[in-house]
Amino acid sequence: MKPKYIIALTVVVVFLVFGAFSLKKSLTPYVSFAQAQKGGTVQIIGKLVSGTDYYDSQSQKLAFMLTDQESRLQMKVLYDGVKPGNFEQATEIVAIGQYQSGTFEAEQLLVKCPSKYQGLPPDK
Amino acid sequence: MWWKILLLVGMSLIIILTFTWSPPQAKLGDVSRIFYFHVPVAWVSVLAFLVAMLNSVWYLRTKNLQFDTNSGIASKLGLLFTFLATVTGSIFAKAAWGSYWNWDPRETSLFILLLIYGAYLALRSAVPEETKRAALSSVYSILAFVTVPFLVFVVPRVFKSLHPTDSIVDKNLKIQMSGQVSALFFPSLLAFTVIFFWMYYLHQKVEKLSAKKEV
Repeated sequence: MKPKYIIALTVVVVFLVFGAFSLKKSLTPYVSFAQAQKGGTVQIIGKLVSGTDYYDSQSQKLAFMLTDQESRLQMKVLYDGVKPGNFEQATEIVAIGQYQSGTFEAEQLLVKCPSKYQGLPPDK
Repeated sequence: MWWKILLLVGMSLIIILTFTWSPPQAKLGDVSRIFYFHVPVAWVSVLAFLVAMLNSVWYLRTKNLQFDTNSGIASKLGLLFTFLATVTGSIFAKAAWGSYWNWDPRETSLFILLLIYGAYLALRSAVPEETKRAALSSVYSILAFVTVPFLVFVVPRVFKSLHPTDSIVDKNLKIQMSGQVSALFFPSLLAFTVIFFWMYYLHQKVEKLSAKKEV
């Protein structure tokens, strides 16, 4: 390969990597828990701390603890709505809403399901 | 031709079996059947862009305009299949995650891919002179393809995403699907690939005929 092609390709790759890093924030809609606490309507993604979900009759909302894998933080989430199907088996949960006085008030919940395609177990 | 009949029968079988024989998945249930169409269509679009890039390389080497025409055709088909992947993905997302579009990194990267190749088509139609168009398109196509592995394979694994990354193969390229699922998935992948190449050759014939007509 001619040297000028190698140089050109290297320049392109460098720009791509640079572009990816600067785009990093906008490529993902999810923010860290710490960032979420700063306010505004954001999306957070995390794992459900199993056993922590309950129906809070005082606020008439579904409440549960979400844990952020990287920083091992936990955040209490309150969701005003129907509990999504597959909630307990979700491998990740996305909460869209605002952080208000100690809890994350979620307007919408998205669930990530287990992804292995192996059919139902025979007894079902 | 025999392979067309085989394709017709095969594809019909695949469609029917997807709804009747393939096992509904744990948790996702019947909705997961869209997997047998969504994934092959996405794979084919990557293949199409690869074919486009290879044609571009050959054009730059030989300056034979046929390669540039092929590249344009493959890119158009690639864009079509990417669009199909996006639509089936969106339907899948609504059913599995609860939202048609959430700018999840996977969704965003595919959208960027649509823009990149959309721009390619705009570029082609903006340059009327053949050899100039061919040269510009070829360079663009090669550069555009550099972004494809990154956008399609790297982004969803680097950024946290709702999109599954290990449904088909895991990190060591070991197949993760059960026998029944594989038995339907791989033929579907093959059928869509055949469809792509058939469309590719048909487009080429059409281009040749319309070029003859002008002369």
